[in-house]
Amino acid sequence: MRTASRGLPLLVAALAIAYPWLVPNYYLVYAGALTVMYAAMATSWNLLGGFTGYVSLGHSAFFGLGAYGTGLLVTRLDVPWAVALPVSALLVTVFAVGVGVAAVRVRGASFVIVSIALVSMMNLVVQGWRSLTGGSTGLQVPSPFPGLHRGQTHMVFFYLFLVLLGLALLSWWYVSRSRFGAGLRAIREDEDKAESLGVPTGAYKVAAFALSALFVALAGGLYALWFGSLDPIFMFSILIGSYMVLMSLLGGVRHVYGPLLGALIVAPAGEYFLIALGETQVHLAATGVLLILVVLFMPEGILSRLTRGRGGPSIPEESAGQRLEGAAR
Amino acid sequence: MSLLLQGVALGVLTGGLYALLASGLSLYFGVMRVVMVAHPAFLFLAAYLTYTVHTALGVDPFLALPVTVPVFFALGVAVQRLLVARLAPENVAMMSVLLTFGLALTIEGLLGTFYTGSYKSVSMEYATRSLTIGGVHLPYDKIIAFAVAALTLAVLFAVLVRSRFGQALRATIQHREAARLVGVQTERVAGYGFGVGLATAAVGGTVLALITPFFPASHWVWIGKLMAIIVVGGLGSVAGAALAAVLLGVVEGVVLVTVDATWATMMFYVFLFLTLLARPQGFFGGRLAHRF
Repeated sequence: MRTASRGLPLLVAALAIAYPWLVPNYYLVYAGALTVMYAAMATSWNLLGGFTGYVSLGHSAFFGLGAYGTGLLVTRLDVPWAVALPVSALLVTVFAVGVGVAAVRVRGASFVIVSIALVSMMNLVVQGWRSLTGGSTGLQVPSPFPGLHRGQTHMVFFYLFLVLLGLALLSWWYVSRSRFGAGLRAIREDEDKAESLGVPTGAYKVAAFALSALFVALAGGLYALWFGSLDPIFMFSILIGSYMVLMSLLGGVRHVYGPLLGALIVAPAGEYFLIALGETQVHLAATGVLLILVVLFMPEGILSRLTRGRGGPSIPEESAGQRLEGAAR
Repeated sequence: MSLLLQGVALGVLTGGLYALLASGLSLYFGVMRVVMVAHPAFLFLAAYLTYTVHTALGVDPFLALPVTVPVFFALGVAVQRLLVARLAPENVAMMSVLLTFGLALTIEGLLGTFYTGSYKSVSMEYATRSLTIGGVHLPYDKIIAFAVAALTLAVLFAVLVRSRFGQALRATIQHREAARLVGVQTERVAGYGFGVGLATAAVGGTVLALITPFFPASHWVWIGKLMAIIVVGGLGSVAGAALAAVLLGVVEGVVLVTVDATWATMMFYVFLFLTLLARPQGFFGGRLAHRF
């Protein structure tokens, strides 16, 4: 069991690094890069959703803002892309702190409402601010690697997204071992009790919100550089936000690899549907039905099902008080 | 000045429809503590069914109501019984949003598949004219929409206040365990509550089809608007939702005639965030709203 839990991630990592060289064509490299991008975003979503239990359907707002921020810095201010990407992500994080202060004042259902409202709002702003963003006609971003052909670009971005996924997984792991992570988990278990135990719940929630926005914004920025063409309807679509939720729930929100596993299932399935059925609305219905099934029958996710009874989940399920005492010692 | 009056008048007329739809949301929230994100999706389903009845049979869109209202009532009972009631009780608030969100996606996808993504509309001859009072033009279709919405709301209130079923429903909303103790079959009542909620969506859908063109993805805009209304009004308060609906309808109408459509829609979100910052439980919300 111990060697399996150590060895399996290493094996998967090695396979992931070798993936672009193992597949026969560039389309599969592209599909792989897309999957890794979704995995990175879902893992990052889980920094908020998994630890605190606050479900955000609006993380595509940060995806779109990160993309538009990077795109606008590159096209309007001629900033080099390697600078534009982190600057845009930092700006989005600062924005997320502002939104977070208002959003985490409400719990449960109201928070979900606010997160949906956030996407719709950003969509309106970007579509309406035609002079800056190009409105619904879209924004064209020049490729950062003009010397490479399309397939090689897919390969470069595959590895860039892989690095991002690694960073997101590392932060999840780091947070899960910290006092901060213990506080977030205490919020999930019982927010009022956590507060009375001295957890600065407000500040922790805003910090988790901003941290999870940071990686989603980076993914958005990379997406902008990769695709080179941004369209507000797609960038701020509620569907991207719901993919992050679906992947995390399907895999298991309490596990570091849960969202990754979910992404490995949902993203290729989505690509397959796209090829098999073409650009129809059926994939929307399929996503909806899958979400309903997961919520009804497997809200704890696949990994919880698999590990139940043998070794338990990768996060110890202790009460909020026990966690805090342990972390303080 | 007359422009402003025009905006206010249109806002009140649209606010009537908002109030009807928001009352449905308050009902679900009351009986099951569920935020029904799929409400606008069902609204558009009703609008499309009305469109089908109107184009296939060539009859007045309101003649679709005797079909859609019972069907939607049954659908509502089914959604409550087969889906919402099965959720694990410890995390109903979050999971029910995701569940109904999945429903909304499914309905949108199916509508897009069967009716394509292009705009559809139902236009009646009587709907194109307008009534002019003191320089303010009131389109007949908006007046009809307001009248139907107001009538439905009045019937809903009468049922809630006067009938035995309404008493049982309100008892369930106020205190589930206590209601069960005095002999109310809360499970069944909650199912009927969902049915009544979806029946209002059926009425709203017909009205919507009459006053505006629609396409499958436009239900997201309505989710945003309706959610803003029930948060401003206070989750779970039917009267609060109705007041907030008219208020936001007027704000939307005034901004629509003075600035533009983007800002008019934006006002809903501005009010949503201002309410969260100033008074997270909403302005008319009672005891219920504090916890959600």
